[in-house]
Amino acid sequence: MKKPIWRLTTVVGIVTAVAVAMTVSASAHSTKANTVKAGGTLNVGWEQSFGFTDNMDPTGEYLGDAFGILTNLLVRTLVSYNHDANAAGNKIVSDVASNVPQPTNGGKTYTFHLKSGIKFSPPVNRAVTSHDFVTSLQRLANPKDGGQYAFYYKVIKGWDAYAAGKAKSISGISTPNNSTIVFNLTAPTGDFLYRMSMPATGPMPAEVTKCFEGQAGKYAGDLISTAGYMINGIDKVDISSCGALKAASGFNALSLIDLVRNPNYDQKTDPTRKNYVDEVRFIVNASSTDIANKVEAGQLDMWTGSIPPSVLKKYATSSNLKQYFHQNPGDRTWYLTMNLTQPPFDDVHVRKAMNWVIDKAALRQTWGGPTVGTIANHIVPDTLFNFRLQEFTPYKTAGDHGDAAKAKAAMKGSKYSTGSSGMCDASACKNVLLVSDTRGVDPGMVATIQQDAKKIGITFKVRQINGAYPTIQTPSKNIPIAERPGWGKDFADPVTFFEPLFDGRTIIPNGNTNYSLIGITPAQCKTLKVTGDCKNIPSINSQIDKCEPLLGGPRTVCYENLDKTLMLKIVPWVPWMWSTVTRITSTNVTHYQYDQFSTTPAYSQISVK
Amino acid sequence: MTAATDLLNPSGSGFTETRSASRLFWERFREDKVALVATGVIVLLILIAIFGGPLAARLTGHPNDEQYQNLMQDSFGLPKGPNSQFLFGSDGEARDLLVRTMYGARTSLIVGVVASGIAVLIALVVGLVAGYFRGFVDTSLSRIGDVMLAMPQLLISIGIVAACSSNKDGCVIYGPIAIQPGIALVICVIVIFSWPYIARIVRGFTLSIREKEFVEASRSLGAGDFRIIFREILPNLIGPIIVYTTLLIPQSILFEAALSYLGLGVPPDVASWGGLLNDAQRFYDTAWWLMLFPGLFLVITTLAFNLLGDGLRDALDVRGDR
Repeated sequence: MKKPIWRLTTVVGIVTAVAVAMTVSASAHSTKANTVKAGGTLNVGWEQSFGFTDNMDPTGEYLGDAFGILTNLLVRTLVSYNHDANAAGNKIVSDVASNVPQPTNGGKTYTFHLKSGIKFSPPVNRAVTSHDFVTSLQRLANPKDGGQYAFYYKVIKGWDAYAAGKAKSISGISTPNNSTIVFNLTAPTGDFLYRMSMPATGPMPAEVTKCFEGQAGKYAGDLISTAGYMINGIDKVDISSCGALKAASGFNALSLIDLVRNPNYDQKTDPTRKNYVDEVRFIVNASSTDIANKVEAGQLDMWTGSIPPSVLKKYATSSNLKQYFHQNPGDRTWYLTMNLTQPPFDDVHVRKAMNWVIDKAALRQTWGGPTVGTIANHIVPDTLFNFRLQEFTPYKTAGDHGDAAKAKAAMKGSKYSTGSSGMCDASACKNVLLVSDTRGVDPGMVATIQQDAKKIGITFKVRQINGAYPTIQTPSKNIPIAERPGWGKDFADPVTFFEPLFDGRTIIPNGNTNYSLIGITPAQCKTLKVTGDCKNIPSINSQIDKCEPLLGGPRTVCYENLDKTLMLKIVPWVPWMWSTVTRITSTNVTHYQYDQFSTTPAYSQISVK
Repeated sequence: MTAATDLLNPSGSGFTETRSASRLFWERFREDKVALVATGVIVLLILIAIFGGPLAARLTGHPNDEQYQNLMQDSFGLPKGPNSQFLFGSDGEARDLLVRTMYGARTSLIVGVVASGIAVLIALVVGLVAGYFRGFVDTSLSRIGDVMLAMPQLLISIGIVAACSSNKDGCVIYGPIAIQPGIALVICVIVIFSWPYIARIVRGFTLSIREKEFVEASRSLGAGDFRIIFREILPNLIGPIIVYTTLLIPQSILFEAALSYLGLGVPPDVASWGGLLNDAQRFYDTAWWLMLFPGLFLVITTLAFNLLGDGLRDALDVRGDR
């Protein structure tokens, strides 16, 4: 029987209507989380106090979470970023400078011209000049003012003399006029522009900072802003004398940072920050569960802190909550570090065997599974090489679960493997000291590492330390292996991995970050009380020096090759994860953006209802 | 007269039967049903500590340190709960919680018993010497004990454990003698802070006993200090010592649990109830079994030792109601 045409038309009509309705509904659903709207207050839950590394004082503050606040909301620098996710967010753009300068004088001179119309917030209320950059850099150079990454600027002529108190100014910095600043370097430095994007280099008014000379970490409460926001109450601070100066009411390092709009900020001078909301409040709350509940209830809008696996699962799997769950590359490598001076890791075959045998997927599972990161196959996160080393996976195993057979094959060449079984059977392989932290996920990682290493004959004596970093950062402790380390970029250049982590010249008695002691010399070993075999420790110092002056493509290729050298010939680490930054937001957030530079939410680009 | 005699001597013999101290103790103790049950529980716990771990591993086929991530963890790293293969579910590291809890009994009891035993031994020596010799010796030893009691135990313990964990050699005492982090260090820490309590009690008893007539008699017959201490005073301290030791054991177990809960106890690869409870913190909102089973064993053990201690005290105290 033939169906009447009207009936068919009706069915088609209904289906079409439903489809249209669904499409409209879906698009409304998606715009709900992506509609930009100006105004409102962004409330951010904060799991710890704002003590950070230098109490939020831009001169010394060295934590990514703080960089996110400073560079998005308070401090403008000569050059900066678009406060965007992925590669776009790692690209240098001009900020206070009118353009991104090209180096002259064989890569040793950088000249910046300042934009007009950029002013300090109240109570300073005057235009920013080139001299204000000199103020901040001199503060950074003075060891008493707390600068924690001052080493990046030693390349500026006269820096060390000023830092040592032997000169009254930094000879390599000149200010021909109020809107020009010139940097003369001792050697070509390919990443100098990145260094000038760090918040410590942002302009500071000498009339305020003079009150904080020799007082590391104290300027934060009276930070004079140049960006879209300022500390609430800073306009009421009396700067007429240092005696009268009090911290702004909107800053309490233990409980709250309250930021409001900066009336002196001219949006036209700043194409990188959108500044949607009227107010941003960072509220300390020690309970991660409470923060999670408040974000879900809309009492807080987002959360900066480690999200428990149960909350991750809830947001990643719930169809309602998924749109409020954000994942972005963390530009951070987590790894097991092996000390090249300590048996049995003084043998490259053992280090290679460890790379083969460790179940990286299991380590990641302990942290929360694929949601929290991708498996790391080499030193520098793929994002920093624009994924050009994505195919470089020298110790790849099926499912990333490790391969005991390949590990044993690698071990066979070792002096610690006496038989033909490929087992590490010398006494040096037994009860090897493994330093771990007391952090929640560490016992699980230790269990995995022990289980895997046993397959190649290595057993561990585990030391669990509450805050393991100081111990593993002390070469005289002679720690053979540690499971704790992770390293994130300071800025989007591979040098931030190679110089602090693998340059033998940077090894220091305390706070050392070259845990593997690559490039250490017998003389250094003696001075630093390093036991074990210090002869013939491989070094990449000369390769680092070769890469450093290069720019652009050649620079990237140079560091890529260095990464390969480390993974194939020296093998100081078992890199196991490149972490993902996971964040949850409330239903109030209508637009979310990630800042790749600071690997935090791009607070200046987020809007709320 | 006859009737009265019969009442006093129902067996009809010429003399009233005298009962030894141990028989008196046993008669009083066996009337205390709670203490008897507690004794049974402790015996069971000791058996679990000795055989429980290996037996559970054998019966389940799950070795103590084996991880079962594919079976017992979801893709977010969350542990899975009890099922027919894993009766207690898995711990945060995807190991069999039943096996870990059984092995944990061994750690807890070793720490509890050994630490308490050493602490009591030290306390006995210090308390006896201080109470018997009095004067300068008493003042010196008592003040040392007072200083120890005034110290913030947990903070100092954290400091000691951290200091001994921060290098390869542990806490070097002298030359090659060093304390390595682990059970030995935890026991040392507990002993350091436990002995003064018992020493103070022993001193008090000693001060009292040394003035008794039988001690005076012994002294007048020419007995030396050593003989008086060991033959006259020490036997009279056995009762209180046993009681306080049984009360100290659960305290030591809880102290170990507290240190492990803070991540400062035994190494993470060694199962302990405190360590398991520490692990449970991360998953308290999703994995109830992590808190329940080790917690239950901890509560039962401490309760059993406390009830046994009460029972012993009642049975040994002839001035008691019963």
